Amino acid sequence: MSAEAKRAPGAETAGGRNILVVGVGGQGVIMISKVLALIGQRRGFEVKQSEVHGMAKRGGIVFSHVRFAPKVWSPTIAKGEADALIALEWAESLRWLDFLKPETGVFIADTRRIVPPFACLNRQQGAVTAYAKATPAEVVERISNAYALDASGIAAGLGDARAANTVLLGCYSVALDEPLEHWREALDLFVPKAARAINHAAFDAGRTWAEAARAGTQEVPTMPALFSARGPAVKSELEINAAWCKGCDICVKLCPERCLALDKKQIAVLTKPDACTGCRVCEWLCPDFAITVHQTAVGAA
Amino acid sequence: MTTELQPLHGNQACALAAVAAGCRFFAGYPITPSSEIAEHMSHELPRVGGVFVQMEDEIGSLAACIGASFGGAKAMTATSGPGFSLMQENLGYAAMTETPCVIVNVMRGGPSTGMPTRPAQGDLMQARWGTHGDHPIIVLTPASVQEIYTETTRAFALSERFRVPVVVLYDQVVAQLLESIEVPPAEQSVAADRPWAAAGNGFQPYAETESLVPPMVRPGEGLRVHTTGLTHAPTGFPTQAPPVADRALKRLLEKIEKHRDVIDKSDAYRCEDAEIVIVACGITARAARRAVATLREEGVKAGLFRPLTMWPFPERAFRAATANARRVLVPELNAGQLILEVERLTAGRRPVAGLNRVDGEPLAPRQISDRVKELARHD
Amino acid sequence: MTEPLAFDIREYLRLELMPHFMCPGCGHGIALRALLWAVHELGIAKDKLAVVSGIGCSGRVGAYIDANTYHTTHGRPLAFATGLALARPDLKVVVITGDGDCLAIGGNHLLHACRRNLDLTCLMFNNEVYGMTGGQVSPTTSATRLTTTTPTGNAEPVFDACRIAEAAGASFVGREVTRQVPALKNLIKSAMSHVGFSFVEVISDCTEIYGRKNDLGEAPEMILHQKADMRPEAFGNVADQPFRPNRLTTGILSQHDLPEYGETYRARAALLRSGEK
Repeated sequence: MSAEAKRAPGAETAGGRNILVVGVGGQGVIMISKVLALIGQRRGFEVKQSEVHGMAKRGGIVFSHVRFAPKVWSPTIAKGEADALIALEWAESLRWLDFLKPETGVFIADTRRIVPPFACLNRQQGAVTAYAKATPAEVVERISNAYALDASGIAAGLGDARAANTVLLGCYSVALDEPLEHWREALDLFVPKAARAINHAAFDAGRTWAEAARAGTQEVPTMPALFSARGPAVKSELEINAAWCKGCDICVKLCPERCLALDKKQIAVLTKPDACTGCRVCEWLCPDFAITVHQTAVGAA
Repeated sequence: MTTELQPLHGNQACALAAVAAGCRFFAGYPITPSSEIAEHMSHELPRVGGVFVQMEDEIGSLAACIGASFGGAKAMTATSGPGFSLMQENLGYAAMTETPCVIVNVMRGGPSTGMPTRPAQGDLMQARWGTHGDHPIIVLTPASVQEIYTETTRAFALSERFRVPVVVLYDQVVAQLLESIEVPPAEQSVAADRPWAAAGNGFQPYAETESLVPPMVRPGEGLRVHTTGLTHAPTGFPTQAPPVADRALKRLLEKIEKHRDVIDKSDAYRCEDAEIVIVACGITARAARRAVATLREEGVKAGLFRPLTMWPFPERAFRAATANARRVLVPELNAGQLILEVERLTAGRRPVAGLNRVDGEPLAPRQISDRVKELARHD
Repeated sequence: MTEPLAFDIREYLRLELMPHFMCPGCGHGIALRALLWAVHELGIAKDKLAVVSGIGCSGRVGAYIDANTYHTTHGRPLAFATGLALARPDLKVVVITGDGDCLAIGGNHLLHACRRNLDLTCLMFNNEVYGMTGGQVSPTTSATRLTTTTPTGNAEPVFDACRIAEAAGASFVGREVTRQVPALKNLIKSAMSHVGFSFVEVISDCTEIYGRKNDLGEAPEMILHQKADMRPEAFGNVADQPFRPNRLTTGILSQHDLPEYGETYRARAALLRSGEK
C-alpha cells in the first residue's frame, strides 16, 4: 500500500469521534482515555467515557470507550462504529478489530506482546504459544489505516517503557487538530509531577512517528516467534522403576500435566506421554527414586 | 637405648603412655578422680598433632572417640563410675562395630555419686557386663603407676590389634599416687595400627578372616562401607537372618577367645607351693603382696595371683596358680565381685573366702594377713 | 544431549539395598535426594563424604548412600561426627538426624555442636513424630496432634529447632520443606559450603503413621500442605505476611562468619609447636 493512499490517523471524520482504547491492566489505558475525553470536552462536545478495569488485575483485559460529539446517547461504541482503535497490547488490538469502522477506521497498536498464562497451556519445551499468530505486516496489509509501532521500545529508549501509552496518544494526536499545549496540559493533569517530562517526550516521539508514517517512511515492525517454555525443543522420556515404586501417589497428584496414574498394582505409569513436558517434578518428589527423566534434543544427531 | 626414671602421678602416667602409644585423639568430661588425665591430654596432644576436645558429657566423649577412631585415629577417653555408666551404650556400639578405643575408668566409691575422692573396686563387673547384650571386651587392671604406663600402652596395642574397646581400670589411690617409674623408650610403646583394609573386588568389611579380626576400612581411600550398631552381615549391612546373626555375634566373642595367649596377662607370686592363694587386683593386690611376704616370714604358705588382664579372666594361669592351694582368698574393695569369677573357676574344688571393704578406705596388708591366718585356723 | 551437571541419583546410591525400607510417601527419601543432588553439584567425591546418622527413620537413611556411612547410637550422631571431623578434616561430614534424635535424646549434643562451631552440616529431618517406634509424641509434634502416647492430643508445646540452633550459636541456620526440592538442594549446598557448623531443618512427612493417625490426608495432600496449614502453631517465627500468616519461613534464616573450631584448634596447636622448637 502506498503512503499516498493511506489516510492520516483520525482524518476520516469531522467533528465527533468514537475512540476505543484497549490494553491490559497496568498499561495506562484509562490514563490516555481520560486525556482524550478532556480534549473532546475542550472542543465543546458532550463526552462519555466508559471503561472496564475493576475486574482486571495487572495483566487482565482493560478497555475504555471514549465518545465525544454534539450529542452522545450511548456510553459505548457499537461494533463497526469506532473511528479509532488505540491498542496498547498486540493481541488486544486484534481482538477489538471488529469495532473499527470498515474502510475508514484507524488502527494504532503497540506491537508489544504480553502473553497471558492460558496461551502457554502447552508447556513442552520449545512449544510455540497459543498467542495470536497475526503479524503486524499482515494487519497493516489488510486495514487501510493501520499503524503498528513498537511504542514500548520507543518509550524504553526515552527512559521508561511505561510511557508507551503516551507514545500511542501522541501518535493519534495528529488526527485531531488540537494545539500541542492543550495535549500537554491535559497530560499534566493525569500524570504525576515526576513523570511529566518523560510523558511529554513520549508524546512528542509518538507524534513524530505518526508524521513520518504519514509520509510513508516507517517500517512495519517484525515479531519473532514466541515460545511457551524456555530452551530448544526436547523429547522427554520417563523411566519408571516399578520395583522401587511404592505407589504413594505423589507423582500422580503433583504432576502439573496430569500425565501419570497408578496402575492396578499401584505402580506409577505414564498414561499421557505426549503431555509430559519433562519438568522433573515427579523425579524430584518421588521418595523412592523410582522415576528418572531422560531428555534428548529434538533433531539432535 | 636405656629407660629413664621419672616421678609421675598415676593419671599423668596414663596420659603420657597414651601419647607414647600413638593416641592422637582424646575426648573427655571432667570427673573426679580422673580429670588429671584430660588435663594432661589437653596439654600433650596439640604438641604432637593430635586433638583434645572436652565434650558436653561422657556419652558424647566416648561417641567422639569412636568417631575419631572411624577416621583412623587412636582414641581414648577417661572417666570414673558415673561417667562410665553413661558410656555403656556407646561401649557396646564400639564392640559391635569393632571400632578400637581405650576407656580409662578410675574407680571411686559407689553406687551413684558415692565417694568421689575415695578408692573402690566396685566397677569390676560393670566393666565386663555394663553394656547390654553379649559382647567382647578387654579390661586391664594395673596396680601401680609403672603398670598404668605399661598397661595403657598395652590397651592401645590390644584395642587396635583386635578391634575391640579396652577398659583400663584402676582406683583412686593409684590414680593419684606419685611413683618413680621407668619410662620405656618411645619406640617400644608405640602400638601397631589396627589391620587396614586394601581396596579389592568383592570386599566385605566384616568378612571372616583367619584371625577373626577383619581389616578396618579407612574412609577416604576408595572403600566406602556402612558401619552400624545393628547386627550386620559380613557386608556391613543390617541382617536378621538367624544363621548370619548367630555367626556375627559368635565371631565377635571368638576373636577374643582365639587370642587368649596374647590377651591374657597375670602375675603369680609365690604360688608354686602356696596352700592359700590370694586373688586380688589393683591397690588391693599391693596390700596382698605385702601380706604374702609377712605370712611367708611367719611360715604360712601364702601366694598371690594377680590378673593384669581382668577380662577375659586369665583362667589358665589362675588354674595353674591355684592347682595346689587348699584355699583361696579374694580381698577386694567392693561387696564381692571378683570372688564370683574365682568361685566359678574353682567350681567348689576348694573353699573360696572373701574379704570386702566398702568404706572408702583401701585394705591394709595386716587385714589381709589376719584374714589368712583366721582361715588357716580352720584347716 | 546431557546437561552440564546432569544428576542421576542412582550414581550415589547403594543399589543393592534398593528399594529402600521407608514407607510410601515418606519425605525422608525426598530429603535424601536433595542431599545427594547438593553433593553432586558441589562436586564432593563419594570417598570424601562421611554421613553420620543416629537412630530412627532418619538414622536409616544414610545406609543407602554410597559413601562412608555411620549409623550410630540414638541422639549421638553429632558427637560421633565431632570426633570424626576433628580427626579427619579432609572429610566432608554430614549428620542426618531426626526431630526426636536431635532435639530430645540428643538435644544437649545439638546445643554444644552449635556452640563449638566445628565444620559439620547437620540435617534434621523433622516429621513431628517417632516413626520407627510406632508413632510416639516428639518435641516437634504440633499441639493437639494424636500420637500413640498422646491419645487425647498433644498438650506439650513444641521446640522450634532453628531458633534453638541460632540461640546456641550455630553460624548457619536454615529450613526448607521437602516439597521444594531444588530449593532444599540449594539450601543444603549453602550449608555444606559454609565454613562452620550449619544446621538445616528439613520439614518432612510421616505419611503412614502420623498422617494417617491425624487424618492429614495421603502423601500428596501432606506434601502440598507442608508450608501452609500443617504446622500452624509449631513455629514461632512464622512469616509476618497478611495473606498467609501461618506460612513457614524457609531458606537461610541466619548466617554468621565465626571462627571454625577445628581450624582454630589446629592453628593454635601449630603455634604452640613452633614456639617450642
